[in-house]
Amino acid sequence: MDHAPPSQFAIEVAGLQKRYGEQVALAGLDLRVEAGTFFGLLGPNGAGKTTTVSILTTLARPGAGSVRVSGFDVAWEREKVRRTLGVVFQEPSLDRELTAREHLDLQARFYRLPERRRRVGEALERVGLAGEADRPVRGFSGGMRRRLEIARGVLHRPRILFLDEPTLGLDVASRAAVWDHLRTLHAAGGTTIFLTTHSMEEAETLCGRVAIIDAGRRIVEGTPARLVEDLGGDVVLLSLDPRDGSAGGSADPGEAPDAALAAARSVEGVRDVSRHGSGLRVTVREGTRRLPALLDALRPFCVVDVELRRPDLEHVFLHHTGHPFEPEQLA
Amino acid sequence: MSQVWVDSWTVFLREVMRYRRDRAYWVGQLAFPLVAVAFIGFGLNDVVRLPTGADYLGHLATGMLALIVGSSGVGGGMTLIQDRESGFLRVLLVAPVSRAAIVAGKVLARVLASLMLVGILVGILAVFTPVAAPHPLAALVAVVGITVVFVALGIALGTALRSAESYRLIAAFVTVPLYFLSGIFYPVSTLPAATRLLSWANPLTYGVDLLRYGLLGVNEVPVGLSVALLVVLTGACAAAAVAVLDRGTRD
Repeated sequence: MDHAPPSQFAIEVAGLQKRYGEQVALAGLDLRVEAGTFFGLLGPNGAGKTTTVSILTTLARPGAGSVRVSGFDVAWEREKVRRTLGVVFQEPSLDRELTAREHLDLQARFYRLPERRRRVGEALERVGLAGEADRPVRGFSGGMRRRLEIARGVLHRPRILFLDEPTLGLDVASRAAVWDHLRTLHAAGGTTIFLTTHSMEEAETLCGRVAIIDAGRRIVEGTPARLVEDLGGDVVLLSLDPRDGSAGGSADPGEAPDAALAAARSVEGVRDVSRHGSGLRVTVREGTRRLPALLDALRPFCVVDVELRRPDLEHVFLHHTGHPFEPEQLA
Repeated sequence: MSQVWVDSWTVFLREVMRYRRDRAYWVGQLAFPLVAVAFIGFGLNDVVRLPTGADYLGHLATGMLALIVGSSGVGGGMTLIQDRESGFLRVLLVAPVSRAAIVAGKVLARVLASLMLVGILVGILAVFTPVAAPHPLAALVAVVGITVVFVALGIALGTALRSAESYRLIAAFVTVPLYFLSGIFYPVSTLPAATRLLSWANPLTYGVDLLRYGLLGVNEVPVGLSVALLVVLTGACAAAAVAVLDRGTRD
């Protein structure tokens, strides 16, 4: 086993470019992933996620820029890089004629694992395929295949596990099972996980750190919570009883009175207050925690309805790129 | 170096896992030469007089064996297409396995398949044709040589082509002339001068001739020349296949 030069970064990408013919897939991508992170590369379809994974896993040549994985250069030290990787591809990658056990047995041989039989047996157990171990993969469901691919990807305890859209096309139950498995794996420690997804929910649920890419460039990077928080906080929409003008101060009886705005502003954590229909729109940090205080302050104005909107990565994407993540869905 | 052999062995095991379940393949590979010998060989045996003086039945039977060995090799290239279509190829490519080990594993698996096919077929053909094994070592070299050359050719085609349909088409387009010009159906010396030149330029001719020497004791080319040529060709083709696979599988 070759030992990589010590580096706190499992993945270092600087100025990575890649084009296929006229098509620019990556236009100067920069990424640094600290060892041990559960990292998410989030972007719409065609953003360059799969191209990035192909280059990081030595399957495609970098066009320009420098790429180091596990401390090794992916262009010149391919075999050393490969020894440190586990990969779960977006597209199916099982031989339909081989059984689940045969797939894992081959993987164990490629990585020279000791106690092959025991480890293969345990891995099959862990992903719930022990009962189907000796059936050809041909008869497996999509969820079973995915679980087998993940079991194969982690069998040799790779330093870095790449997962390209691991839950694409899976039903809700299978997706939850895959998520659980990945969380357990990461909690056990020692593995850097690099996951690509176009699911905001997946990135928020799983990843400790997220980079959002669009059109082959990194747009923004951080913890999902921080990225969302940087937008300014949660939005609380409050409806006030329009007949109750007793607190006064408003020119239009149908609108919230100035005193209500002032009252809302006085609450800790509130960053912005504006009129919204007959009620208020309040931007506030940690909305769920501030809500009781906010309602308390507005008691004289008779709040009849409350809606708390938590911005998510979708809003982060919109904020930084100026266009929605999946236009057809947000139209 | 030993690393490469361990990995080759793993790739070999995987190929064997895959094809041992493919009963239709084995039935086809065994039935075709027997049917051809029975239908064509018996019919032409009394009509055709070979200049070598040998029986036509033996000539055709050994030719069919060479054809099956070649087709077994072409099947090795086909596995590359199948691996690409199933996605398994990517698993091989990201594993810490050299491209040489992938080629060697596939070649070894096909050599085993060829030897088993030839072994079984010689056993059957020996009953009703003059086929025997007077020079088994020569036959062994011929079978290994033909297989390696055809697997290498298949891997080169399989790397360049993307679909099973185009592979079958192009492989047939390339190999059928090689078969016809190799002396499988008639001795090269009976061909017109121009065609004979093409036959002598065809590497398969030497493999077929060596196989015939091994199984019938009849040959047109000096045995040493055939062996030397096959050995050199085997090495060159295998090396070329590794280079093609390495270049062709990186975007």
